[in-house]
Amino acid sequence: MPLGQTQRRRVFELIRISALRSLKVRYRGSALGVLWSLTNPLMLTAVYTAIFGTTFSQYYGGSIARYVVSAFVGLAVVTFFLNATNEALTSVVSNGPLLNKMAIPPAIFPLSAIAANLFQQAVTALPIVLVMSIVLAHDPVRALLVPVVLFAILLLSTGVGLALSALFVFFRDLPYLWQIVGFILWMTSPLFYPIEVASGGVRRWFAFNPIAQDMSALREVVYGQGPIHFHFIWLGLVVGLVALVLGGLFFRATQSEFMDLL
Amino acid sequence: MTSAAIDLRDITLIRRTQEELHYDLKRTLLDLVGGRVRKVRRQQVLDAVSLRVGHGEKIALIGPNGSGKSTLLKVIAGVLKPTRGSVSVDGTLAPLIELGVGFDPDLSLVDNVVYYGVLLGHEEAEVRERIDAILEFAELGPLRDQPTKTLSSGMAARLGFAIATEFRPDILLLDEALAVGDERFLRKSATRLDTFWDASSTIVLVSHNLQYIERTCDRAIWLDHGTIRFDGHAGEAVRQYLQTVPGDNAFRRGDELIELARQNVRGEIVVRGTSPTDEGLKVFLIRDGVRHWVTHPRWYAQSGYAWGDIIHVDDAVIREVPEGDWLS
Repeated sequence: MPLGQTQRRRVFELIRISALRSLKVRYRGSALGVLWSLTNPLMLTAVYTAIFGTTFSQYYGGSIARYVVSAFVGLAVVTFFLNATNEALTSVVSNGPLLNKMAIPPAIFPLSAIAANLFQQAVTALPIVLVMSIVLAHDPVRALLVPVVLFAILLLSTGVGLALSALFVFFRDLPYLWQIVGFILWMTSPLFYPIEVASGGVRRWFAFNPIAQDMSALREVVYGQGPIHFHFIWLGLVVGLVALVLGGLFFRATQSEFMDLL
Repeated sequence: MTSAAIDLRDITLIRRTQEELHYDLKRTLLDLVGGRVRKVRRQQVLDAVSLRVGHGEKIALIGPNGSGKSTLLKVIAGVLKPTRGSVSVDGTLAPLIELGVGFDPDLSLVDNVVYYGVLLGHEEAEVRERIDAILEFAELGPLRDQPTKTLSSGMAARLGFAIATEFRPDILLLDEALAVGDERFLRKSATRLDTFWDASSTIVLVSHNLQYIERTCDRAIWLDHGTIRFDGHAGEAVRQYLQTVPGDNAFRRGDELIELARQNVRGEIVVRGTSPTDEGLKVFLIRDGVRHWVTHPRWYAQSGYAWGDIIHVDDAVIREVPEGDWLS
């Protein structure tokens, strides 16, 4: 259904104000509050480095610093994906009272949850990752590709978030299940371990984990050397686009029944 | 054909019934594996309802609980999409449905006003200009920077009312919205509503206050099981509707009420006056030959009374029962 220009403007306005609302609630009007969201990935990076750093550094040319960067980049990907999708998941149901009183497109709520998390990443992890890329890769093309990879992750998160928020209307035990899926995605991504430690048979399955794919893509643009392996990036974009289209179609197909269950 | 403010044509609405919710992925999957496929049960809530409301017309929807009054209001508001039929609305709309719910408890009052206003379709700048007026009308100015969770439900309803009515809507949808706040605020909100009533606004009202409807509405629609039983002069609609309501208005004397309360298992009954709204929603508990004011609309729900348990009685009859204390 094509939207008119005024309608499109209203939708963007609603997403903006709704994202602003969740950011305001989260940070209570303090700009420093946004920086707090960095404590989680930083602390986890420190813990991983303390435990695995020395053992795994051999896979990173004997450099613990490389391990730190690798773990941080991996965490940036997986925490954005999980935070955004978890927040999107509950968004339609938790805004049920509002949807019951005024005519608002329900997709506003998952989209604004994603937008709020995107903003948070844009002011915290993105600058750090960009600096890492500039310092480590010494390649302006790679640095320019960092936002492209983040865009792929954004597409994936949006598609999954839309689908989850619609499913949660029908199945209220979904958060429990999604937590398990999130844990599996976390463990099967080469996040705190180098991909080489997994056996060849298992490694083949990593190809089916889109988060692992996006991690490889982001690492490629942050500290890859030599010619750029574009296929990681392409793959990420294609998978993200497919996720977005499928998630969006699922949301649209099911949304007519939302109001009966909210 | 002249343009109508609201034009509903053959509205049929079929909804999933709430009891049939799976609400559970685990069970659904296990059922699928076990070969049990449960069909979603659906229910027809509105059946080919057609309704034209002219600009400036004041109409009421009456009928028993579950007859589809509030549902029809939500269809007009665009909250529910009809399964079949078309809805067209000409003008800006202010839905006063479930006032006071939907605020973000952690946001400040000011932020909630802005958020709510924008969701209602107004420009952010326009809403910001009116914040003071809205908070002042709701008498919540001193709390402007407090989180909204500190408000009582009555205060939240006041805020919802103030926001929705601040912007001079062309069409006002009222769902028992008159029953918010304390006596004093009720009077104040009734005064503001009167300005809409006098002006060119179109009003669709859902209420159980039949006297008020007779006095203020040009036209009433009696809904029953999702169909229109009567559409026309308000007094006639109320008269025909009341003939089908057993019990209500059957009480002519105060001692009949006292006797009924004595015979009840709980030793008490809850009655509601049919007074005009400017005197507020009157709910009383009759016990031991005395009527007690129930100040908070939530009281009877918390005490285990459903809407249907409340007996609708003429004010004059209630006044015959000696007055007791306030319950809150």
